[in-house]
Amino acid sequence: MTDTIRHRAAKVFRRNGAGWLLMLPGIILFGFFAWVPLLESIRLSLYNVQGITLQDFAGLSHYVSVFRHPDFVAAVRNTFSYTLWSLVIGFPVPIIMALIISELRRGKSLFKVGIYLPNIVPGMAMVLMFSFIFIPGETGVLNIIRDRLGAEPFGWLTNPKWTIPLIVMALTWKGAGATALLYIAGLQTIDSQLYDAAIIDGAGIGRRIFHVTLPGLYNLMRILLILQVISVFQILYEPLVMTNGGPNNASLSLMQLMFRYAFTDYNYSLASAVSVIICLMLIILTVLYMKMNKEQDA
Amino acid sequence: MKNTDSNLKGIIRDYDLNRWSVRIGYAAAYLLGILFLVICFFPLIWTMLSGFKEIKEFVLGTKILPEEMRLSSYFHTWETLSFARYYINSGVSVGGSVLCAVFFNGLLGFVLSRVRPAGHKVVYALVMWGLLIPATTSIVPLFLNILKLHLTESFLPLWLSMGANAFYTVLFKNFFDSLPKPLIESARIDGASEFRIFRSIAVPLSQAVIMVVVLYSINAAWSDFLLPFLLLQNTPLETVMVKLFSWMRGSKFNDVQIIRAIVFSIIPPITLFALFQKQITQVKLQAGIKG
Repeated sequence: MTDTIRHRAAKVFRRNGAGWLLMLPGIILFGFFAWVPLLESIRLSLYNVQGITLQDFAGLSHYVSVFRHPDFVAAVRNTFSYTLWSLVIGFPVPIIMALIISELRRGKSLFKVGIYLPNIVPGMAMVLMFSFIFIPGETGVLNIIRDRLGAEPFGWLTNPKWTIPLIVMALTWKGAGATALLYIAGLQTIDSQLYDAAIIDGAGIGRRIFHVTLPGLYNLMRILLILQVISVFQILYEPLVMTNGGPNNASLSLMQLMFRYAFTDYNYSLASAVSVIICLMLIILTVLYMKMNKEQDA
Repeated sequence: MKNTDSNLKGIIRDYDLNRWSVRIGYAAAYLLGILFLVICFFPLIWTMLSGFKEIKEFVLGTKILPEEMRLSSYFHTWETLSFARYYINSGVSVGGSVLCAVFFNGLLGFVLSRVRPAGHKVVYALVMWGLLIPATTSIVPLFLNILKLHLTESFLPLWLSMGANAFYTVLFKNFFDSLPKPLIESARIDGASEFRIFRSIAVPLSQAVIMVVVLYSINAAWSDFLLPFLLLQNTPLETVMVKLFSWMRGSKFNDVQIIRAIVFSIIPPITLFALFQKQITQVKLQAGIKG
């Protein structure tokens, strides 16, 4: 009896040892590329840094200088503006796409492949492409089209009111199709008997959408909404390349502010302070997400 | 009427189409769908067409179509930018990244799913957090650590960084969760080591998920910019994306040359997509997100 227990204990022990040994490479990589840098951001933000070595403890002074700088206010405001616009533009577009495409009876797979295509265009290439598409003046492609339709040329990204919405539109161009495919998959899980019941009750198409389809997608919408917010919060390439934060800081994002501090000013402490602030905001969003996810599973 | 044409499950049913208002709405939906396709394709097609233009034609002209379709202008720019070099660099970077993405995330996913040593839940929770707080926010300390290890001007950090991808790990874990339990238990009773079970049972059965991770990581490594930019800029190892950025920033090359470079950078992912569109589009991401 004791023998079998000992035997079993040895087996469990061996399995734990083997398990941890096999997890080790993964843990080292995740540690090096994700977990340690996250913690080190905090440390860097609290110290003065000379070159690449830590000097003396600086307390929260770097945070104070970040907060006091007018660029920070602009970056926070813009980051929320990006998020808001992406809720207005980027969130409903894939839902509409999915609703339409899943109802089409012919060529559905062609539509699915077609709308996914922009998603495989590399981010940097997409950003450069749109900086050319948004060329202002009479020779920009969008203004050529406007001219054919009888409209005046437009300033596009040089118009501070339009910079962020246009960047969000470019983001939506890339991302919407892939998200729409998730919604299409979600639509297929809606029980068709619910529609039958609604039809028997005399519901027209609009009411079927509002009382069956959209409630059926609710959970997926919630998850994708929060993931979208998290990803837009980290917007970097688009303002970096398309506008360099301009005109006059109108599109500067938090991540770009971090990038500027780190790789233009080489002030790693200030950059890390901004990183920590972004992380804190993301953690709050993530906790929100986890809570929602739990509710959904329950 | 063919079965594929009728709709017995969706919102709009066949008999709805007897009503004119529904028919018009349905036609409008088709038009809207086609409009979506046009919007998706237009920027790409415009970029490719603009690459055929001469620089004067592009900067001063007010026509969308180029006057002449000279493929030679593309070839010429390929030579001028010595693009082959950057294709090779990106290729090497992608190759190593794919191997790391499959091996390290696969192994971790396997242990989290099938070996489950004491404390594996903590590791899993940490991985999941990584899914939601991507590493780009802490790029500064990561960059400094790589500097301290003297690993700049090398592909190694880029390759290994793909081995720490929370999404792929979760994808693998979820797949291994679905493998039949007796298969693995019987191998264990036969005395096979856990690594052997991974190599000889789990991996051969997971071609579908490996394929997906391979395709995703090819695209991710090809498109990766931030870390390659920090580690490789102004070295002989610059990848396509790093070079695109510095060409755009600099003033050495004109707009049409840069546009042609954009086209070159898009050709490989589009080719990959054309070949494997089915595998790429069928993945249900929410399986990964929900974990």
